[in-house]
Amino acid sequence: MLTVASLSRRQLETRLAGPGLALQTGPIVSRIRSPIRHVADAIALLYGDYPVQGEDGFADFHVGLHRPGGLRRWYKPQVEFDLDGQVPFEPLPEAHAFPMLEWGLNWCISTRAHAYLMIHAAVVERGGRAAILPAPPGSGKSTLCAALVNRGWRLLSDELALFRPRDGVLVPVPRPVSLKNRSIDVIRGYAADAVLSTPVSNTTKGTVAHLKAPTDSVARAHETARPAWIVFPKYEAGAATALTPIPRARAFFRVADNAFNYSHMGARGFATLAAAIEGCASYDFRYSDLDEAMALFAALERAP
Amino acid sequence: MAPSETWRLRPGQTLQYRQWDGECILYNDLSGDTHLLGDGAIAMLLALRRAPATRTALAAVLQAEFDIDPAALDLETDTLLRDLQHLNLVEPLAC
Repeated sequence: MLTVASLSRRQLETRLAGPGLALQTGPIVSRIRSPIRHVADAIALLYGDYPVQGEDGFADFHVGLHRPGGLRRWYKPQVEFDLDGQVPFEPLPEAHAFPMLEWGLNWCISTRAHAYLMIHAAVVERGGRAAILPAPPGSGKSTLCAALVNRGWRLLSDELALFRPRDGVLVPVPRPVSLKNRSIDVIRGYAADAVLSTPVSNTTKGTVAHLKAPTDSVARAHETARPAWIVFPKYEAGAATALTPIPRARAFFRVADNAFNYSHMGARGFATLAAAIEGCASYDFRYSDLDEAMALFAALERAP
Repeated sequence: MAPSETWRLRPGQTLQYRQWDGECILYNDLSGDTHLLGDGAIAMLLALRRAPATRTALAAVLQAEFDIDPAALDLETDTLLRDLQHLNLVEPLAC
């Protein structure tokens, strides 16, 4: 199997600048075109384990990151993201190219992959059972997810829980974990061997760096997982670790609030989410100490 | 509401619902909304799924399933019917 790491740097750049790099992340193939060095650097660093499809094969999304024309090409250069030639967002400084690619790929999936019920949530798995962590930005979701995957949990996704309606399982789409601001140093301190991209400052989300997904998670991207826990994390400085059960009906609406396409899916979305809620224990989880958080998740996993 | 007034489920409602811990979530086939309902509302809807029923018969369903003060039964029944009608889940049958 051809992977990004099996391409030489020159081959990688040639594909990116030419026909595109057809990158497989779980069930999704994205053909990426970009002549920008930051993009090639970050893909080489973070996507080495990922399969690469042939130059003429099918891709779900054809995306590009290019410098817009005009004087800005020379003065404070910018980058713009395109999907099938359409430019949906305002350009950003060129240094933001890789975060923009990650955000753009998330946007492609969350606005188009309606074969799945999609929830804005991190998903990690151990022993065949998955924990879904839905949360708004600032809740500590990605920090918790990064810590868990560095303590043996498999990463299914940092951003997108994809429920397959016909059987209710979670389909992995493992990509780098987006860390912001203080959580970058928290994870550096917590996982000394973690591979992180160069932090990019002054983005719309502050300073952003991406954590490489574990090799095992990428290798097992075809293995679905059964939803077992829904945990709404909330980081609060100094807070004692606390796990509080949530009644199922309340959990249903809170998960639906974090869905990208619950309404779009109609009755099928209702049935899919109801089955997930029925099969899961749901909790609010408040934490400030990652070691305590890891111990609590380990206890959850040990419980029958 | 007149005791003899007959009610039915709105045509098109299939009553996809789940009931957990005294609360019920229900998918509204006509609006695409999802509602959080109490046990009384779902009991009334299930009765109407079997067949259209008068307000008196629906009050009897509530009385049989829940410990409702008889003095409050009519008001409770009317309130539930109005709420469910407002959500396009039930409607009075034209005479």
